[in-house]
Amino acid sequence: MRDQVAIAGVGYTEFSRDSGVSTLTLASRAVLAALEDAGLTPAALDGVATFRVGDSVTPTILAQALGMQDLHWYLDQFGGGSCSHSVVGQAALAIHAGVADTVVCYRALNARSEFRMGGTGRPPVDAVETQYQAPYGFFTPPQQFAMAARVHMERFGTTHEQLGEVAVRQRGFAVDNERARLRDPITLDDYLASRWVVEPFRLFDCCLETDGAVALVLTSTERARDLRQPPVLLRGAAWGSGSTLYSNQQPDPTRSAAADLAPRLYAQAGVGPEDIDLAELYDCFTYSVLVQLEDYGFCAKGEAGDFVQSGATARGGALPVNTHGGFLCEGYVHGLNHVTEAVAQLRGQAGARQVAGAELALSTAQPGYIAGCTSALVLRKDA
Amino acid sequence: MSDADGLPLPHADRDSGPFWQALREGELRLPQCLACESLRFPPRAVCNRCASFDTKWVALSGRGTIASWVRTHQVFAPGYRDKVPYWNVQVTLVEQADIQLIGGWAGTVEPRLDQPVRARWVARGPEHTVLDWEPIPD
Repeated sequence: MRDQVAIAGVGYTEFSRDSGVSTLTLASRAVLAALEDAGLTPAALDGVATFRVGDSVTPTILAQALGMQDLHWYLDQFGGGSCSHSVVGQAALAIHAGVADTVVCYRALNARSEFRMGGTGRPPVDAVETQYQAPYGFFTPPQQFAMAARVHMERFGTTHEQLGEVAVRQRGFAVDNERARLRDPITLDDYLASRWVVEPFRLFDCCLETDGAVALVLTSTERARDLRQPPVLLRGAAWGSGSTLYSNQQPDPTRSAAADLAPRLYAQAGVGPEDIDLAELYDCFTYSVLVQLEDYGFCAKGEAGDFVQSGATARGGALPVNTHGGFLCEGYVHGLNHVTEAVAQLRGQAGARQVAGAELALSTAQPGYIAGCTSALVLRKDA
Repeated sequence: MSDADGLPLPHADRDSGPFWQALREGELRLPQCLACESLRFPPRAVCNRCASFDTKWVALSGRGTIASWVRTHQVFAPGYRDKVPYWNVQVTLVEQADIQLIGGWAGTVEPRLDQPVRARWVARGPEHTVLDWEPIPD
């Protein structure tokens, strides 16, 4: 499948604290924007895919709303951020297999005004381990990731300042992203002064619960070359791996499912971490960036804190990371807005935050701390 | 399911019923595979190591070590408004290192990595019991 399927269009809604509209409206806006970007109309679509945790419009309802009369393929994946990139990979499989010609992948959520992860205002997402954790007041993602971050700090000497460096570096990109919800530069002192959410995480360790949607139009590379935008090719797509649950078979929380996935992804793409020009790493929290820098092979286990402090992931660094500011600054659209940003970079359309010479990008999903599985894409500029 | 204070309660399903029943009886019990002897958590009928369904429930020591801990400051549900900040611990059971339970912390000071701890059974209303963990005195 290498390079045979391409992303031909991307679309966004506004990102906000309160969209004031339904997830159907958000999804419709993002999908139509992505089609417009590609120079297509809904009539071109024969496939629709999304993922959700009971918090968004289904692909079949969206298809009906957009007047699609002849849906050939759809995917309604139950799951969180860990499967965000698998949805794109599965759409590519459908296209490569000839089941569908042109597929739109979207994620639409009112993650601030309606359904907050962790259940503020609603019950927690029903996961197999929830019943064993919720009675102790433990049912939200910052608690789950803070547990793992703590072990990394204890074992490798990773510091609060190093977590903070992730937030500061990403904000450095966001100042030039008109979509980003937080664009004012911050210093390490600002980070250290931000309030505790769940120790060892402060406010600036946490991503922004956001109302919004993004969408991606996929089709064959051959067809994409005839469309409006320069195609961005799917060089590799992998998902799955770990068999862990949060509280079982994970004796080492400093190692994520990404460590199992990475070799398979790189082999499929025929590249290694040294070939990657920029990385959009799932940043629900600062710590998830650190663990993925290690697990995707950009530095040795335990050394991600030093790697980030060196400036490697910053603007102008050897490996710019989260070039839109990430979920920490742009907003949390549950993984898919990492893919849209990688596309913008590889097209050379990222404006003032453009990474010079960007040809190959890694974009990743939540690294598997809760479900044990993760997903990721290697994307490349068309030759 | 929540209690009168709005705090979540255990919500047993067909796999976990004996686990919660054991806590009510003052024991920590988990399913053990009769074929390969490994313990499993969360409880379920099939062994995640050897796929055997031959299972017995065994009582454990209720002892472990601190694998990690966090302190929650943000109020994530209304019932916690008067509880924050509070500690949660992740405890590695002495019987099997890859089982790590989340629980409440009954210590008076911050936990330490690898600190030996023991379970404390805590009634939550008339029908439920949960586990907190406390330091084992030197």
